[in-house]
Amino acid sequence: MRKLLPYLFLAPALTFVLAFFFIPVILTGVFSFTSMSTATGIFGGRYSISGSSVTQLRDQGFPEDVLVALDSIVYVANDATLPLASEAGASDALVTDIRNTLLDQTFSERRELEDALKQLPNRPRNTRELKAISATFETSIKGRDFATEDALLIGLRDLGLELNPQQEVAIVDVSYTGWRWTLENFRRIFRTPDQLTILINTFFYVFVTLVFFNTGFAIVLAITTFYLPARQAAFFRAIWLLPRITPSVIYVLLWKWLAWDVGFLNSILPSLGIDARNWMLDTPTNAWVFVILINGFIGASMGMIIFTSALRAIPKPMIYASEVDGAKFWQQVRYILLPQLKWPILFITCYQTLSLLTSFEQILLSTDGGPGSTTEVWALQAYHVALQSYSGNLQYGYGAALAMVLVVVGLGLSTLYLRAFNFNQLVQRPKIET
Amino acid sequence: MSQNYRTWPILIFLTFMSLILFLLYFYFLLDTVTNQAPGTIWPSEFTLEHWRFLIEPIEGRQSIWRVTLNTIIFASSVTLIVVFLSSTAAYALSRLNFPFRSAFLGGILVLHAFPSVTLLIAIFIILQLFGLYDTLQGVILVITALELPLGIWLMKGFYDTVPWESEMAAMTDGASRFRVWWQIMLPQVRPGLFALGIFAFLSGWGSYLFPLVLAPSADVQVLSVYLSSLIDSLGRTDFSLFKAVGLFYMLPVVIFYLFTQDKLMNVFGGAAKG
Repeated sequence: MRKLLPYLFLAPALTFVLAFFFIPVILTGVFSFTSMSTATGIFGGRYSISGSSVTQLRDQGFPEDVLVALDSIVYVANDATLPLASEAGASDALVTDIRNTLLDQTFSERRELEDALKQLPNRPRNTRELKAISATFETSIKGRDFATEDALLIGLRDLGLELNPQQEVAIVDVSYTGWRWTLENFRRIFRTPDQLTILINTFFYVFVTLVFFNTGFAIVLAITTFYLPARQAAFFRAIWLLPRITPSVIYVLLWKWLAWDVGFLNSILPSLGIDARNWMLDTPTNAWVFVILINGFIGASMGMIIFTSALRAIPKPMIYASEVDGAKFWQQVRYILLPQLKWPILFITCYQTLSLLTSFEQILLSTDGGPGSTTEVWALQAYHVALQSYSGNLQYGYGAALAMVLVVVGLGLSTLYLRAFNFNQLVQRPKIET
Repeated sequence: MSQNYRTWPILIFLTFMSLILFLLYFYFLLDTVTNQAPGTIWPSEFTLEHWRFLIEPIEGRQSIWRVTLNTIIFASSVTLIVVFLSSTAAYALSRLNFPFRSAFLGGILVLHAFPSVTLLIAIFIILQLFGLYDTLQGVILVITALELPLGIWLMKGFYDTVPWESEMAAMTDGASRFRVWWQIMLPQVRPGLFALGIFAFLSGWGSYLFPLVLAPSADVQVLSVYLSSLIDSLGRTDFSLFKAVGLFYMLPVVIFYLFTQDKLMNVFGGAAKG
């Protein structure tokens, strides 16, 4: 019991972490090697011969008669169709006749089948009955949906086709509608020319936001509020914390109100002679400005908090001493405050690089990668490809491959940070050894 | 802080830099209760018409109260589960000795830094496989799991500060380890439970992307998804209505923020995801 106790305490939390961290990480890897999409479904596939599978078989050099049979409607009397015939009104005697003479013969024309039926001793009594019965022998494999491989093979046999095992394998393969294993996703990432643009977009976005806001402006905020009286400082910190605590949908809505055609900018700028427009989406430059401002205003607060607490740790006497020695404001900032921020800055830079690289919620809500795809970044592209496609076909496999790149980068960087930022200090050994 | 430098240039600089935020949030409040003539920036009249959505549903939409109920169920379930699971797991990691303890801690920390949003696609497919797609339960489980690394790490910090002596004394008196946890430790980390509770609630309340992807349909919509679909799909762009719905949606956040700002600062500072 004592040995088990730690695990009992851990088990519930571990189950969650296992189910929604580890398994997704592994499955992202697995899915990235599949062609999974809306078209293939995510469960196992089904079997169906389509026009394109016939074309593929022709390319593989299949005999023409097989192709014609696959492609066309034929008439066969067999175990699958005979019960239908009795339902349609064929007498038992007629069914026996058919079984004895016509079983498994394939007729490519309905007329031929009907002529054959008319020769039988117990032939249908009138034309109407003949038509009704002959219709039931109509068999076409094209477009029919088979749940399993065996069902498809039985269907092929019912068609009266003589196939060797290799041909069967080939037909099963082309008619499979489910997802397959493939390296195509990764090939696509390396070969699509637009992918490079998206990579450049991503680096540009991360770099500029990081330098100007998440660290740059965060340092400015921490240092300036450091010099303000406590209440004023608290006020400005609270103001700059607002973007972070405001739910993202509302926060981006406020920016849209500022920038959109019927928004704030357009109610003051026209009086200065500037035309009304959607400032957020009219040019790529403007779109980038807004994307970076929106994300940067959120990002600045985290650095601000970390840097502020680092500055508070500076011994007061040091600050007073520098002033007694006649340090100017800038000198104090340069030689007393900034050196104190060296490690926090490194930490924030690392940490925010990772979160900027992977977060796309605000971009999705504001420009959605537009205009065109000028503000599309890697993480947003993965989302678009796999979960929100205007063409209607969601490419889970391709999206997973794109996400996999981020997962690998994320795992790598977060493990690296763990090593870099003094993990061992955080893990003290328990003092009760039970 | 220091009185030897003039602070007014700093004050002016900061005010200037914060102008956009002042503007955004000032008009956020103002627009919900006023009307403006087109093309002007000052309100012309006081009105409550933007709040009509509270009484009658917006055309073709769920009642706001139904959506609010979903959001409350969602955020409170996440809160309860996260607080409970974190308080047990963190106790084990902080106080109990067992093989691979340090590996578990390292793992939790890596997960904490790991950007969970990259797993969205895989989680979407997993929920489909288990038939939990488009249900509130599914998205509750997912958000709970994603909040756990933060919760465990935060609670471990609180457990670490409790003096060993109180625990040792209780054990000398013959209490089981479980009883020690329940009767001695939990009361002492109550501020931590409280802080984590608020944090988990707010992050459930504010989460958008996961509910959008995992539970999009009208019956299980939460407020964030409701508001964003309202903004996207309404024929006219009615910012005053959007802002009124937004303010309604944001009320719990504002309330918690006003009362617990200092605590939140600490949580964000120590543990936030950027």
